[in-house]
Amino acid sequence: MDNNFKKLFIYSFMGIISFSACDEAAIPLDSNNTPLSIDTVSFPIINTVSYQVPPDIGLHEFLYFGKKEEFNFLYNLVRFSNIDSTNIYTFDFYNDSLIIADSMKLIMSFDLDSIEQNVDFQLRYFPGGGDSVFNELTTNYTNFNQLSASSIISSSIMSIDSIDSVTTQVRLNFLMDTTIINVFKDTSFTSFNSSFLVELKTENSSEFKLFSSNNLSNPPKLRVYYRKLLSDSVVLDTSFHTYYSSQDVSIIDKPNITTDDSTYLSVGLAKGIRSVLMVDMNGWELPKRSIISSADLVYNRVKNDTLIGYSVSSYPLRNQADFSNFNIYDNDPYDVESNYLSSAPIINNQLKINYRKISTEFGRGGKVNYGFKIQSSPNSDPFKTIQFHNLNSNISYPLLRVIYVRQ
Amino acid sequence: MFVNRFIKTYLIIASFAMSQSIFNGYGLGLSRTSFHSSVNGAGSIGLVPSFHPGVSMDNTATWPGLNFTYISGSFSNQANGTKNTSVVNQAARFNKLQFVIPIRERYGLGLSVKPLNNHNSFFTTDTMAFNFDGKDIFSRKEFRSGGGIMEASLGLALPLNSRMGLGISINHLFGSSRDEQSAIINNTYYRMFNLRTYTGSTFDFDFAGQLYNNNNLSISTFARVGLTNKPVSGKLYKFNFYEDSNNSYSFDTDDYPGDLVVDTTSISNIYSPNSFSFGLNVGFKNDLNIFSEFQMWNDEATNTNYASIFNDQIGSKFHFGGGMIRFGNLNARAWQDQITFRLGAYQDKYSLRYSGNSLIENGISVGFGFKFATTGNQIDFSFRNGTRSITEGQKELFKEITIGVSLGDMWFLRRRAKQ
Repeated sequence: MDNNFKKLFIYSFMGIISFSACDEAAIPLDSNNTPLSIDTVSFPIINTVSYQVPPDIGLHEFLYFGKKEEFNFLYNLVRFSNIDSTNIYTFDFYNDSLIIADSMKLIMSFDLDSIEQNVDFQLRYFPGGGDSVFNELTTNYTNFNQLSASSIISSSIMSIDSIDSVTTQVRLNFLMDTTIINVFKDTSFTSFNSSFLVELKTENSSEFKLFSSNNLSNPPKLRVYYRKLLSDSVVLDTSFHTYYSSQDVSIIDKPNITTDDSTYLSVGLAKGIRSVLMVDMNGWELPKRSIISSADLVYNRVKNDTLIGYSVSSYPLRNQADFSNFNIYDNDPYDVESNYLSSAPIINNQLKINYRKISTEFGRGGKVNYGFKIQSSPNSDPFKTIQFHNLNSNISYPLLRVIYVRQ
Repeated sequence: MFVNRFIKTYLIIASFAMSQSIFNGYGLGLSRTSFHSSVNGAGSIGLVPSFHPGVSMDNTATWPGLNFTYISGSFSNQANGTKNTSVVNQAARFNKLQFVIPIRERYGLGLSVKPLNNHNSFFTTDTMAFNFDGKDIFSRKEFRSGGGIMEASLGLALPLNSRMGLGISINHLFGSSRDEQSAIINNTYYRMFNLRTYTGSTFDFDFAGQLYNNNNLSISTFARVGLTNKPVSGKLYKFNFYEDSNNSYSFDTDDYPGDLVVDTTSISNIYSPNSFSFGLNVGFKNDLNIFSEFQMWNDEATNTNYASIFNDQIGSKFHFGGGMIRFGNLNARAWQDQITFRLGAYQDKYSLRYSGNSLIENGISVGFGFKFATTGNQIDFSFRNGTRSITEGQKELFKEITIGVSLGDMWFLRRRAKQ
């Protein structure tokens, strides 16, 4: 075939196609006798109970001293990173014969613009603590011995420091001499604990609120001031390296439990209140290839006051729960399936948590249903304890409502 | 290069765009009985001559009657409207691409590609509202399907004697289809996909014979036996539901759950067509022909595990039709005399396998073809209009315009000996 033949064929079809058109609209059908159905099922809650564990505020954005509402703060523990903010200099750097470390300063910033009441704070450290003395997630009044800290190594009052030409900040500045630096740079420990205990000099009923390591703008800082020898006679000006806090926690004295806390389904970080509940899903099977649209468990709050920015987290339990009584535990006895975390904010005094991921596993037999744990989310106000209606409520008891699509 | 790419892209897109009928939701959808535009114009099933005197492009046995080698394509645009609703759909597609070489007026060889069935559909249900423990739920469903089985054929025409010819076609069936079923709950789509691949093969044996011929009258019969060699089998990929959180129509990282489980199974014997067709053509002088055809078609697939939108499949079909054709004369002086005119009417009666319900398609068609250039180039137009209705079901109106372009050239023709 010659080129003219091919061209004629191609251009003829281009012409035909150019005049073609598509108009695709859905044809309406009666829903009956078509595949797919949307099913709903409600599961009752058959057991609920609250329990108490030690306070859980290690991930909070602030550190506290003094007294806040019903909570007494004993002291604060702060641990610093062993490598500086440039990610280069460890404390071993100051063992260099050409480096002279002169002093060290621990800086903590208040969530204040001005000083209304100035008090004395004092500082201790843990020279005999080895590589670790506390953990912000697990350390509390039941498992930490304050006496393991050293004697007082520094003290500070609140001062207003200039950050730049326009900004000031209320701070604590604990100065330390070379004795402490020598302990920090000692190579006997590959990773020294670099921890401090900070406390009020005298008991005070006021609240003092400082930024913790969870506040990325103003975490506690440790500054090491040093000079560098360039030769026997030439010394560079004093400079410093900054080490940021890696962990910190306020230690709260044992909180009191009210009747409401133990009667209702309660959650609260500072009080260490958590709850467990059992949903009766026994015998339910999720049909093959189905998908759960929502598996909402709705909790109704007992109080009706305004609550903003409060979230609750929930996990499925990995073992059987004790629903008999309100109990107090030193350690939380309930392990959870952490991959199945669900969390939601309380809106209009109602908490609606979607359990569709774990409900899918329950419905397909992939996991055993031991119930759910609920606790306040780490970013919620730790000092607020929230109560929800439990089985004793006539109309507001929780119920798991599942909507799913099946083939 | 750009033009070539543009054409390729456009052809691929256009070839997959098929007009959707409500009846495409049954099993593999409706199967066509005619493919070439000249056949469409006569309302024929392709047995009797409709392209050229003595030649049907859909009947292999008649190919030796062609004067030239042809490359031919047929393209249609069909509009479907459901009665009692205002919904009208239209879409275009290729019906057939074909290359036919007549050899020494005794043999013929051809290649063709065509879509066998039409699986394209898009349905939606009314929105239903209900309250579930204080939560308002608005839900509806959507169903889409597309793709289908393609047929690539190699045909060979052989003479039996001076008045009879035989055609054998070896057909490879291939392709894929997909369907998407969605439930929409409060404007969130929950989608589920099924993908199917197809492979199989069939044979067609065509016959053409002239029973009687004088200057005023000729009587010819035509027949076809279609047999399945390898019933269509393939793979079925069943994807689980996912929540299309961002309504992107595809599964991505924003969707729930995090991974999409697919269950792959082999499917066998899902389509096994067998048919017998017979046609009679009476030709008068001045190239006027009247014809009648019937066809019995049966899908003898044994695997009933084919989920479609409607829980039923097309199991058999009976076609009956007739019409008249007046062929144009390429050598005529007046251009009007070069036009081929076609007219026909037919009925296709489909039987559904499980419910036993019948789907009846009635249609009339009209078409004409115009020859141009010395190598017998031909352009054919056809128009079909008809209805489809099912027992106790919806009625559908359809219109179809088909355009075919056939370009001739001289290959393997007997040359005159040099004087």
